[in-house]
Amino acid sequence: MIRLLEIVNQVLFFYYLTSNLAYLITLIIALKTSAAHQRRLESNRLGWIKESPLAPPVTILAPAYNEEKSIRVSVRNLLELDYSELEVIVINDGSTDRTLEMMQEEFRLRRVRAVYIAQAASATVRGLYRSDLDPRLLVVDKEPGGSKADAVNAGLNAASSPYVCVVDADSVLERDALLRIMAPVLADPKRVVCVGGIVRVLNGSEIEGGQLRRVRLPRKALQAIQVVEYLRAFLIGRESWAQGNMLMIISGAFGIFRTDLLRAVGGYRSNAIGEDFDMVARLHRHLLERGIDYQIQFVPDPVCWTEVPSDMQSLGRQRARWQKGLLDVLWRNRDMLFRPRYGRIGSFALPYLWIFELLAPVIELGGIVTIILAAWLGVLSQEFFLQFLLFGYAFATVISIGSVLQEELTYKRYNDWQDVARLVSYCFLEHFPYRQLHMIWRLLGLVQYLRGDMAWKQVKRKGLQSAS
Amino acid sequence: MGSTFETIRRLGPAAFVLKAIIAAIVADALLLGFILLRRAYRARFFAKRDARVFEFRRNWEALISGEIPYETWRKKPFDLRIVETIVLDAFEAAGREESARLLNFLRTSGLIDRLIFDAQRLQGWRRRRALVSLGRTRALEGISALAEGLRDRDAETRLAALRGLARTACPEAAEEILLWVGETGLTVPPLPLQSALIQCCAERPQVLLPYLHHAEGPLREVLGRVLGEVATPSLGMDLLEFAVDNLDELRAAAARALSHVQPGLALDALSELARDPIWFVRLRAVVSLGRLNHQGAVPLLLHGLTDSNRLVRLRAAEGLVGIRSEMVSTFEEVVATRDLYGLHAYLTALENAGLRRKLETELETTDSINENGRKLLLAVLKTGTLAVEQPEPSELASAETSFRS
Repeated sequence: MIRLLEIVNQVLFFYYLTSNLAYLITLIIALKTSAAHQRRLESNRLGWIKESPLAPPVTILAPAYNEEKSIRVSVRNLLELDYSELEVIVINDGSTDRTLEMMQEEFRLRRVRAVYIAQAASATVRGLYRSDLDPRLLVVDKEPGGSKADAVNAGLNAASSPYVCVVDADSVLERDALLRIMAPVLADPKRVVCVGGIVRVLNGSEIEGGQLRRVRLPRKALQAIQVVEYLRAFLIGRESWAQGNMLMIISGAFGIFRTDLLRAVGGYRSNAIGEDFDMVARLHRHLLERGIDYQIQFVPDPVCWTEVPSDMQSLGRQRARWQKGLLDVLWRNRDMLFRPRYGRIGSFALPYLWIFELLAPVIELGGIVTIILAAWLGVLSQEFFLQFLLFGYAFATVISIGSVLQEELTYKRYNDWQDVARLVSYCFLEHFPYRQLHMIWRLLGLVQYLRGDMAWKQVKRKGLQSAS
Repeated sequence: MGSTFETIRRLGPAAFVLKAIIAAIVADALLLGFILLRRAYRARFFAKRDARVFEFRRNWEALISGEIPYETWRKKPFDLRIVETIVLDAFEAAGREESARLLNFLRTSGLIDRLIFDAQRLQGWRRRRALVSLGRTRALEGISALAEGLRDRDAETRLAALRGLARTACPEAAEEILLWVGETGLTVPPLPLQSALIQCCAERPQVLLPYLHHAEGPLREVLGRVLGEVATPSLGMDLLEFAVDNLDELRAAAARALSHVQPGLALDALSELARDPIWFVRLRAVVSLGRLNHQGAVPLLLHGLTDSNRLVRLRAAEGLVGIRSEMVSTFEEVVATRDLYGLHAYLTALENAGLRRKLETELETTDSINENGRKLLLAVLKTGTLAVEQPEPSELASAETSFRS
């Protein structure tokens, strides 16, 4: 028993070491690539993209469910984006509040017979509306589909542009967001099939008329810790994975896709828990199986701001759902593992996600249990325990501070000294007890999935109106 | 201290891990220190820069007129960079007269020579930045330095040179680009190349033709697309030649460009292109037919409404709605096609153009059709379906007969 505990502890230690090393490598890659990205931007001015007659039309798909508080501001924000050929489709996913009425009042919607071809599965469409004030705005009013995927599919069926940009109706996009995210597409339209954008935390920032006026760090610790998490996930994780063309997630809050490809794979899977992750995995599969040379890119410029959960319950639900989504997609695509036909996705990206993302809560919480057990049995090596704790802590903070540094070196959106000081302090504080709590939520997500509990649990949000 | 080292020694094999812990802590401290130092440095730098920018802007007129001797700022790299940035930004918003004044300032102050020197001699991102800056000045003397950049081994540098040439937007730059692609083929992604050529060939699209005749493969496609964007009526006969080209892209480009030609000359060619087996050629053709805004295009657009491709149908419908003709008779002909998809596309275009109500009123008041026909058309307009009483053949067959004839 004692020997077994020792072995388990050693294994856990090396698991932790490997995962942190992987993070360190991604940090170095991200620091290098974002510097190159900054330099590249200098020689590719966004205004030129805006003026280009070759910029392909883009349809923005914004699903909305019970967004009466913020829908007017959000839609106005979308219509004001800098892009020459823009269409905005808002999908009212069977809202039970006054979301549709609000839009009707604000944009003078009238019922139209726009072309709608049901190529992607979606709940019944009740009607299509076009704005008299701005003909670029089309509203799809549909029966509730129970998922964002279902709503996006309805929008996809009505879209008339070669590219669609999927956003969350309650996110705030910066004016040049589309220009920035379309830059890789314009540089290489044959190979670049979709581009993911960075999503940043909106809470605490000042908004005016749907536009971000000043970026501030949220006051509440729970939200501020999520800022560190988002920086780490996007600025380090996604940036470096995208370098190897192994990006597996394009956030549902902001991403651009080739419309024909989305239609070719049948649109989003309506019952997918993490529809964004699921879509990217299916696109990889579709393209790799056909031997198509493609790229899925990531733009690290801070252009999309979204509200994160501000209470424990909502955050727990969100993280449990993310973990369920992860398991759902990985399990469905398990046949891709280690198959040469799926290239680096099958041999590298997916195994990494299985070991270091999916199993992380099991292994990490298991580690805590074995340590407690070892201490209880009196066989805990204090030396080992101290090493484990100190090394893990110090290494993890290097990664977190590295992501803050990345933000400082490149985009520097937190201008206030106090904000940066707080951000750095949360790099040290997030590891206890938030990290353990986070692991418990993720473990609960796995348990819920295995029990077949796929119910969508509402995450509380205040909405743009209140934020402004 | 001694006891600490003693502890480390006693740890034995674990010493490596302890070193790693210390390394991680040191890394934390270094990262934090770097953030702090960088912030402090940047705060000072920007304060200083803002003050200088304010001062330069206040004395801007004196600066560019040469009243303030150039040597006062040219010898200081910090000031030089600020002046260069202000001038280049001013170019973006400047009109013809102001651009000439700014260019004169760049020449007399020697800034343009410096930019040319940088674009030729520097390496990496510095060279790329210089190339783009040089392009932003739109100075003709910079074209040869930009053309040199096109022949760099680094793809990013070639792209920067291409963007720089695009900014000059002059036929001389187009010649350089075309010469280069003629020599090396496609060594940059097609879109930036197209974009650059469109900007540079807009003034004189004829420069494209000799290259287009000799180009092959993907490069010919690219040049064809450029031709489609920049064509003018002066290219009339050349465009007709490309309308029967073997390359789909070139036929599409010709179809697009034919919208700029006299309708009498374009209609025949476009009617052929509107029946092309390739969908995007048909798409370009129906878009051009719509742009011609000519009655002769109506039967062809009606045919486009029944196309197998959704985009072709949509554009044909938009073209039909856009042509200022008798709405009732056009609608009659649309219904006569008995094509539900085509009807939907037409109704969509009608509603997008805000003309649905107008058609309804015209249908209610017109005396060009009998009562049954009127009721039928109103029902089709209101329901958007063709599942209504079959009309009298004589009333609604005109579209098909006119198209066949």
